[in-house]
Amino acid sequence: MKKYEYADGTLIYYLPKELDHYAAEKIKTQSENILEENEIRYLIFDFDKTVFMDSSGIGLITGRYRRVHDKGGKVYIVNVKDTIDKILTMSGIYRIIEKKETKEDIIKEMVEGGYYE
Amino acid sequence: MNNTNEMTVSFTSNAQNEGFARMVVAAFITGTNPTLEEVSDVKTAVSEAVTNSIIHGYGDKDGKVVINASVTGRSIYLEIIDYGKGIEDVKKAMEPMFTTRPDEERSGMGFSFMEAFMDRVEVVSKPDNGTVVKMWKEIGTVGRQFE
Repeated sequence: MKKYEYADGTLIYYLPKELDHYAAEKIKTQSENILEENEIRYLIFDFDKTVFMDSSGIGLITGRYRRVHDKGGKVYIVNVKDTIDKILTMSGIYRIIEKKETKEDIIKEMVEGGYYE
Repeated sequence: MNNTNEMTVSFTSNAQNEGFARMVVAAFITGTNPTLEEVSDVKTAVSEAVTNSIIHGYGDKDGKVVINASVTGRSIYLEIIDYGKGIEDVKKAMEPMFTTRPDEERSGMGFSFMEAFMDRVEVVSKPDNGTVVKMWKEIGTVGRQFE
């Protein structure tokens, strides 16, 4: 299973079943060069598979958010389950990152932003 | 007859064991008949405490993390213990967003999450003498609403 996917300025993280410190460190290491070498216009955190998360996951998201947002990129969170939603809400992350119900909702905004022109 | 059920587990301070620690505590508290949400709350709190021991208590060194758990009726009591470098200023460490490692993208929310998900959290620590995190949770009561 792919852990992340990059094409044409869009980076999608397919987050694991359990997003803890151990998993977060692996994801950071594996995707570091993509963030280094590319200008990310859209960064998407896909929580479809995720059933557990702790504050290490928040650290992963805010760290990546900062790097992409600082260069003008847009960041989204998608496919969030109830238990994960509770953690994300508590962390205050929705104040800076928009949550979308489905990927189609994100694609719609990307089209409106001129991504597919 | 004593109605308290107790469990102790000790493991190497390896990040791989964070998942193991959550699972073993979740399995142990099954007898309290918790909801899925309550199990999830306890797992998150355990994960935060164990991660702290591994990252901050031991850092690059190897050591042992010990979990003592006890269940009486529907009351859960947990201790997460390490013998690492300890915390100089516990009060400060427990402030939301406080982190000694912003460069490593630590959120600084560990203790806030423990306090939000458990009924009560106490931290006993001394520099070079390790840290004990004590946590209590009553299953079957509506927890405090956060935010």
